[in-house]
Amino acid sequence: MIKLEGVSKIFKGDVVALKNATAEIQRGEFVFLVGPSGSGKSTFIRLLNREEVADSGRIMVAGKDVGSLSSWKVPYLRRNIGYIFQDYKLLPKKTVYENVAFGLEVIGRPRQVVRQQVPAILELVGLTRKAERLPGELSGGEQQRVSIARAFVNRPLILLADEPTGNLDPATSVGIMRLLDRINRTGTTVVMATHDRTIVDTMRRRVIELDRGVIKRDESRGVYEDGPTGIS
Amino acid sequence: MRTARPGSPDVLYRLWYYVRETVVSLWRNLSLTLAAILTVAISLSLVGASLLIREGAERATAQFQEGVEFIVFMVPNASAEQDAAIRNVLDSSPAISRYAYVDKMAAYEEFQRLFTDKPELVESVSPDVMPPSYRIVPNNPEAGNVAEMARQFGEQPGVKEVATATEAIHQIEDFSNRVSQALLVAAVVLVAVSTLLILNTVFTAISARRQEIEVMKVVGATNWFIRIPFMLEGTIHGLIGAALAVPALFVVDDQVLAYFQESDAVPLFRGFAVPDGYIWDTSLWLLAVGGAVGMIGSAVAVTRYTDV
Repeated sequence: MIKLEGVSKIFKGDVVALKNATAEIQRGEFVFLVGPSGSGKSTFIRLLNREEVADSGRIMVAGKDVGSLSSWKVPYLRRNIGYIFQDYKLLPKKTVYENVAFGLEVIGRPRQVVRQQVPAILELVGLTRKAERLPGELSGGEQQRVSIARAFVNRPLILLADEPTGNLDPATSVGIMRLLDRINRTGTTVVMATHDRTIVDTMRRRVIELDRGVIKRDESRGVYEDGPTGIS
Repeated sequence: MRTARPGSPDVLYRLWYYVRETVVSLWRNLSLTLAAILTVAISLSLVGASLLIREGAERATAQFQEGVEFIVFMVPNASAEQDAAIRNVLDSSPAISRYAYVDKMAAYEEFQRLFTDKPELVESVSPDVMPPSYRIVPNNPEAGNVAEMARQFGEQPGVKEVATATEAIHQIEDFSNRVSQALLVAAVVLVAVSTLLILNTVFTAISARRQEIEVMKVVGATNWFIRIPFMLEGTIHGLIGAALAVPALFVVDDQVLAYFQESDAVPLFRGFAVPDGYIWDTSLWLLAVGGAVGMIGSAVAVTRYTDV
């Protein structure tokens, strides 16, 4: 589903974001990206949906060579990739329902599909009763659920999440992780960058650890830290 | 395995989306929107006025065609003797190459033709009051010679006045050139200003919706889907501005051109009118220019600020 071959990305001022990274993620996998701030986790994720373009190496996502994709095809790639932000990025003047529907409307899905899919996905994230609320009236955890609903409503093959629990308390985070786990079990590949040690250690999924842009560790049932002396 | 199915076309739904987004954006940005629209209206009014004056001048000089250098206007009630005397000079003079006599009826018909779209003006005259005239092609069209002949004819009894092509055409061309060029320069500057204003208005609209655009990009909306409402917004600015310039054209026609038509000082200015059909044609051009200005301004804004 996702394949990186010798991928490097250097930002202006010689900041190395990713250096010769190679990894392969199969369909339906759940992968944690861990590492200190600035280690390249976000760049890793942003390269996958072509928010960034690699300087060298090759990235395949859903059978497409992301780097050589012509720019008019990028939106179609992104329709296969759901994206969850740390700060939710909900539109404050739209209701929960409208925020989720937005994700379908702007890619030109017909109205019947919107009417069918939005209630179904709100049910999945447990917000059916709050469909008419505005984001400002919701808790952080609920807002993140809306964001996940919007990312998943088009049933993408891949979900990318950049610190989705970064703004949430531990108890709420567990709920979000249950939801992501549930989505993952439907066959959706999930790649999640996180600093949340508890979550990683509890879920025991594949862990890719980045350090200054280099993949330092890639374990199939990993924990947050590599050995007792690791620093987070 | 699921894949994202290509959406079946739901044209009305999408059209409604574009209209809704465009209208919302226009309202949100009302003061800048009005500024942009008014600037377009003013600049296109000036372009239109300049075109009308040019056209008026061309029509006013239409009588001087095919080498006609001067026209001897008789008084409407000139006697047969006075007329015969003039004709005699014209027939015998070696300085005259040829001439055409335009009688009252023909003058009236010409007047009707020139003012097809102004029935009230045509109704206000009758063949009786039209001055018959001789349109004269001299052998030597040199200005000094024409002026001298005009002077001589002017002294004949029964002659109301003599209009020479050089004098009249100079007067009208000079007038129309000065006025329409000044207007055109102002208009070109203003059109540039309105393009920039539309660009800025659309840019402001884009900024107000950065968040939405970011989400749209991340969920895979195409560039054009994101851009179309903004392009529509700019185009609407241009079109509304142009639409406001259309009544201004009729005002120019009613007030400015009519003023010249009524002036007795220079008989030639009486031809200084443009038919309504020409004004409508000009209006269509203004709408096209307005739409283009709006589209160009907003296109620059969207390609600069909404790229993936």
